[in-house]
Amino acid sequence: MAHNTQTLPDEPVIRQAAAGAPPAEESPLSQLPAWKEYQLILFRIAFIFFIALSVPNSIEWYQQLVQLNWAQLNYRDLYDIARFGSGINFLGSTIFGSSLAGYANWITTALIATVGGLIWTAVVKARKLPRKEYYTAWYWLRVIVRYRAGIGIIGFGFTKLLPVQMPYPSLGILNTNFGDLTAQKIYWLSIGIVPWYQVFAGVVEVTAGTLLFFRKTTTLGSILLLGALGDIVYVNFAYDGGVHVYSSYFVLLSALLLVNDVPKIYRLLVQERFTVPVNYYPSFSERWLRYTRIGLKSATIFLFLGVLFYLQLVNFLYDPYKQPAVAGVQQLRGNYQVTEFRLNDQVIPYSPIDTVRWQEATFENWSTFTYRVNKPQPLDLSNGGGDPQRDVNRTFEITGLAGGQRAFHYYADEVNKVLYLEDKYKAIPDRRNRTAGVGGDGGAVVDEAAEKAARQQAARAQQDWIPAEARKNIGDESLKIAPIALSARRARDYASAPAYEKRNRFTVKYSTTDGAHVVLTGVDENKNNIYVVLDRVDKKYALSPSGLNAGNY
Amino acid sequence: MSNVTIGETPAWKDYEKIGFRVIFIYFLLQALPLDWKFYSYLFSGAAFPLHYEDIFNLANYTTRFGAGPATYTDWAILLAIAIAGAAIWTYADRQRSRINVAGSSLRTNEISNTNSPSRTNGITGSGSYDAAFYWLRVILRYRLALALLAYGFLKLFALQAPYPSLSSLNTPYGDFNRWKLFSLSLGIVPSYELFLGGVEIVLALLLLFRKTASIGAFIFLIFCGNIFVSNLAYDGGDQVYSLLLITYGLVILSFDFQRIVRLLILQQPTAAATFKPVFEGIKRNGRWILKTAFLLFFVVVYGVKTGVGAKHDPYQFPTTKGLPAISGLYNVATFILNGDTLAYSLTDSLRWRNVVFEEWNTISIRTNTPALIADNNQHLVRKDNAERLYEIEGTNGRHYYSYAADTAQHQLTLQNRHPQLAAETLSLHYSRPDSNRVILAGTTYSRDSIYVVLEKVDKKYLLEEVAKGRGRNRKLKL
Repeated sequence: MAHNTQTLPDEPVIRQAAAGAPPAEESPLSQLPAWKEYQLILFRIAFIFFIALSVPNSIEWYQQLVQLNWAQLNYRDLYDIARFGSGINFLGSTIFGSSLAGYANWITTALIATVGGLIWTAVVKARKLPRKEYYTAWYWLRVIVRYRAGIGIIGFGFTKLLPVQMPYPSLGILNTNFGDLTAQKIYWLSIGIVPWYQVFAGVVEVTAGTLLFFRKTTTLGSILLLGALGDIVYVNFAYDGGVHVYSSYFVLLSALLLVNDVPKIYRLLVQERFTVPVNYYPSFSERWLRYTRIGLKSATIFLFLGVLFYLQLVNFLYDPYKQPAVAGVQQLRGNYQVTEFRLNDQVIPYSPIDTVRWQEATFENWSTFTYRVNKPQPLDLSNGGGDPQRDVNRTFEITGLAGGQRAFHYYADEVNKVLYLEDKYKAIPDRRNRTAGVGGDGGAVVDEAAEKAARQQAARAQQDWIPAEARKNIGDESLKIAPIALSARRARDYASAPAYEKRNRFTVKYSTTDGAHVVLTGVDENKNNIYVVLDRVDKKYALSPSGLNAGNY
Repeated sequence: MSNVTIGETPAWKDYEKIGFRVIFIYFLLQALPLDWKFYSYLFSGAAFPLHYEDIFNLANYTTRFGAGPATYTDWAILLAIAIAGAAIWTYADRQRSRINVAGSSLRTNEISNTNSPSRTNGITGSGSYDAAFYWLRVILRYRLALALLAYGFLKLFALQAPYPSLSSLNTPYGDFNRWKLFSLSLGIVPSYELFLGGVEIVLALLLLFRKTASIGAFIFLIFCGNIFVSNLAYDGGDQVYSLLLITYGLVILSFDFQRIVRLLILQQPTAAATFKPVFEGIKRNGRWILKTAFLLFFVVVYGVKTGVGAKHDPYQFPTTKGLPAISGLYNVATFILNGDTLAYSLTDSLRWRNVVFEEWNTISIRTNTPALIADNNQHLVRKDNAERLYEIEGTNGRHYYSYAADTAQHQLTLQNRHPQLAAETLSLHYSRPDSNRVILAGTTYSRDSIYVVLEKVDKKYLLEEVAKGRGRNRKLKL
């Protein structure tokens, strides 16, 4: 019911231009208001700062871009293009030894940008060529920031829209007490249990990013981005989520895009005055310029909205990136109670305080076996995500939780009915997220030298823990997913797997008919003989099961 | 009141007027306290002296025709009443204008003046509902601000989602339903809850001032839109209420919506709002007095009461203290039922697995049978300890009993907290040989005699161990 009036008695000059005038787009630069001195200086600083922040700063990013196999893409290839660290880091990422919660890099970049901006100002003054405005440069800065923010958030958004970023809890996690989880894990799980809400969040993020690609909707997209990511920054601080710097990054970019709109809204709504927005868009008069613009824009949209959606869909259906992708043995699925447990032929009865006897066990839908034992375990408290392709490194089942839960990745020789199990916990985890760089999420702190030494030591043992005949029966794990989901990245990750990793391992024979009653006999990681009788139980959880299942098992 | 309309104001078209009449009546019915149940609660003894819980419940009251919370059916009934009312209004208006035209041919239509301030009289004079819309907006702004302040202070003091009880920390993740997990996941981060409460309070303050109301309403729509979708996703009980508040926000924003779209999306020169209320004399002072009174009561008084309540009377948990220094997790080392000693078991349906004593007078027992779920998902703010059922809602992992302790005779009388299982009582004699053991002996509700020795477990919760240190980048063994 708002009625816009056309003219106001106290602003006669504007009346002529406003009534029925075309939008400000066509005004030549000289007719637009000049910039004040402080605005010129601020712009120079901001120009350097935001260009530095919009460009990848790690050599690995450029390497992976060059090495990309465009014929066999994985969603992570495009995601890694969009998700990179930035900022000036050749002076290091700490200030006086402290990383300032990860923001030190921004401060350094800001300081360098300020110095650069002041030098630029001095040069302009010295050359005696005064500038009145930077409309064109401001337009191009906004374009760079818009597209950087847009593709970045769309990369993020698709992992929610096809809900894989926060997986539905595994059986082992469902059986873990609430107090035995870290805050970060609890937050991730709280979204994982409602896949349709995750989809909604993904729609919001992808929409915000898409709106940034178009001039008229940039403001709306920036507001959505600011709101959504502002909340995520706070969430990351509160839950110690670890991604606060990368989230703040989007808040910073969207704040830059809104810097012109805030005074406009203030003037219109709070001061209640006639407002004339000033928006400058350079006209692309030559044909080749227009075609280049449309071509680049279409290519970006095609790649990041079209191709990435397809790749993420394939990922969701066949290879959800945080969850092991390979199906487990068909009969061995579900929650199992440990009916009988013999160690070195001695029966150990159940006791909640016994430190050896397994209390409960699960066989997941995928290639994981877990058991719980009342013994303190070394813990992996990292986020458990990132780009690992091998099932054994997809650690969301063990990251951020305690309570004596142990998870093992297994290779199944279904001909001889033998399971070869390896501990998913690794004291020195494999390096992940190499291209994320400074300001991205570089994964858990890793001591590469120690890892190499451990591998060399294991290599001296020179024995494959799985006999060759069993290897033939097991097959090549990298090919055990739907063929459409195979990618060069997966093959490369499997091929570069260290031959003689140091992990806890044990081997058991399993005997069962339909999986309801399973007997395991073998040798555990401490060279003890174990004999375990497992009976499947149908646990009725209060939590509703997922309505949107990732992966194909 | 008199008001000034600057410049031309095109007359409201007929369909706009009819639409406005429906909306006007409907939202007045929704936002104003017209329900007799509201007044019976307010004036009954239950509400006095006004505790923060009472202010909260009164502030969030919505008109309903049934016994339970408001539903979409109630909305439909109110909408039907509004349509009927609008029809009558339209008819009466047509009658009046017919009489006017017939009666005086000399009266000019007051809205045809150009470029000069025109005076409109009364609420519906001269075919313009600008004044009526202004007052509707005022009512909705204050009503919405009230809801935001009521919830905002509960979150500010981390009352709405409390830190999980010890029993919850010792319940497996899958033994909670979605809504309970949502609440627990928020409860572990009081700083985030404080932030959300702060946002709500700031939005309320923006809504209280005419010039910032649309900005507040816009941000609120994003904020509450998320709350509404969360309620759908997690099976929460606040779906209807959050959608109602969203409709209030939409009406508030609608006044400036076209202007904002024109300025920010179409990027064209935009004129400001043309309707400005002007208050003179006593009405001016009255307005400031009322506004100040509102702020004083619902921000200062309510805020202080809630802050004090957070310390002494958090509404989600009972306040009756339990036995001194008994809270913790206990392993059931010995369990003798009717003379038979039952060994540790994960399959026996009777043997207890572990026991948690809370700081307050609740004891929870984990057995091998799932408990009956108390599946209330409404956000209930209660003063009576027996009605504070948050700790048992949404979970089937443990059996909850409240206990009355006779410290002279060392007697505990346990009663199942679930409203449908209130008949289950146990009568136990307790002894505490040392600070780590509790021995319970007595009879259960099925007339079995039990003898239980509880041994305290020195339990370290990962949730808390990590929070103590410098974060997660270190080796931890638990």
